[in-house]
Amino acid sequence: MAGKIKQMIDAILARRADDNELLQRVIKTKLILKGINPAKYDEQSFDDPAIIARLEKMAQELCR
Amino acid sequence: MAGRIKQMIEEILAERSKGNEMLARVIRTKLILKGISPEKYTDQSDDDPKIIRKLKKMTKEVSHGNKRPFMNIRTASSEKNTAEDAVDELMGIFGSNNMKMMIFFASAKFDPEEISARMQAAFPGVTVFGCSTAGEIVSGRLLKGSVVAMAFDEESLLDVKVEVVRNLKRKVDVGDAFCSFERHFGEAADEMKPSQYLGIILIDGMCGLEEKVMDAIGDKTNVIFLGGSAADDLRFRKTFVFANGRSYADAAVLTLLKPAAPFDLVKTQSVRAMGAELVVTKANEDKREIIEFNNKPASIAYAEVLGVSVHELAACFPSHPLGLVIDGEPYIRSPTQISGDSVFFHCSSVEGMPLSLLELTNLIEDTRNVLERSRAKLGGISGVIVFNCAHRALELEFNKQSREYGELFAEIPTIGFNSYGEQFIGHMNQTATMIVFR
Repeated sequence: MAGKIKQMIDAILARRADDNELLQRVIKTKLILKGINPAKYDEQSFDDPAIIARLEKMAQELCR
Repeated sequence: MAGRIKQMIEEILAERSKGNEMLARVIRTKLILKGISPEKYTDQSDDDPKIIRKLKKMTKEVSHGNKRPFMNIRTASSEKNTAEDAVDELMGIFGSNNMKMMIFFASAKFDPEEISARMQAAFPGVTVFGCSTAGEIVSGRLLKGSVVAMAFDEESLLDVKVEVVRNLKRKVDVGDAFCSFERHFGEAADEMKPSQYLGIILIDGMCGLEEKVMDAIGDKTNVIFLGGSAADDLRFRKTFVFANGRSYADAAVLTLLKPAAPFDLVKTQSVRAMGAELVVTKANEDKREIIEFNNKPASIAYAEVLGVSVHELAACFPSHPLGLVIDGEPYIRSPTQISGDSVFFHCSSVEGMPLSLLELTNLIEDTRNVLERSRAKLGGISGVIVFNCAHRALELEFNKQSREYGELFAEIPTIGFNSYGEQFIGHMNQTATMIVFR
């Protein structure tokens, strides 16, 4: 399976930043500081369970 | 000198178009009609004084067109030896009229409980908060052993709320503070607009938990929190934050405010990437320790990219820190010491994080440029709060540039302090974070 990580990142960005470009940059920076670089993942990226678990935790924190 | 023209054009475009591409095209056309073609200028273009004069006139016109208010900000400082005398002097300068919020930074020579209690007692009914320092900054001067303060009146601040997050070492939990902010402002924290709200964080500079606190804040809200880690005149023993007439260690003071005028949040660091990259492959985040870079012992890998021996590595730390570069912006991690094969930093990095090797650039020129950019963006500056890394202050002292640095702020009501870490979205080192008010 592939593409889940990008999908989860996009969902976090949509929830917290809408279409606001400045906010998108801020949220991306927060993700990178947490250790996940959105630019690294696309639809073909392997669904790494460790990254998915981290993103699930982040989504809980970022999108309550 | 080069690149100023491109910078001024970009500032005019940013101010007038507010990110709207169609408006940006219109402004570019107007500039061409005025005889200045934006495409002609790059970072390498000569700073032609004639063109700069024309652009300054245009910037002024842009500013005059703005009807937005300016903040009414006042600053004061005291170099008296006792807390009592220093606070008396500040009282004499500020008076007591129409004040809503005061932020102050005090040398570690003052007893923390006494200075905080006296400051609050001197300005009853005012939201007073601050922290201890490793040197203070006030308009035009860098001081040692002083108290500097900035006062905001009722018209300048629509609202403000201070919360103290205590016992950080037991558990980093900003939940109660944010519940209080939500109750006070009547708005959910994740709905608050970063253009309307501004967060200031002052945190115990010896707690080693700034990353975790910033991470927790970032999860709660899109409002940008910016600030600095309290310091203690480079003794590295105990640092304090102040609020409500009390002093606190192992704590952070979070202040959420709604300024009446626009503001700009600045992060500036005088470094550039040298091209080499070290990927963190093994780390102990809690200890800010990097055990391995590129699957090699950290000290060996770091020394290798610098082309020096491990014995020479520590001497290179001040001039060659590492940085996480995001969109071209370095978030600096300053190394502190080598222990075994590990390298310890003033800021943690997570495994998998690529860190760029950095070298220093001109701190004075870089700071002048960001202030000019901010001035053009806001159409004027009524006040600046600076959180300046103590490492930068040492660099300025070493290069005998402290006076020149202070003079950058001579015409602006400014206060600040030399900090043990800086915060802007995350935690970082060797940086100056600034709040610039219009």
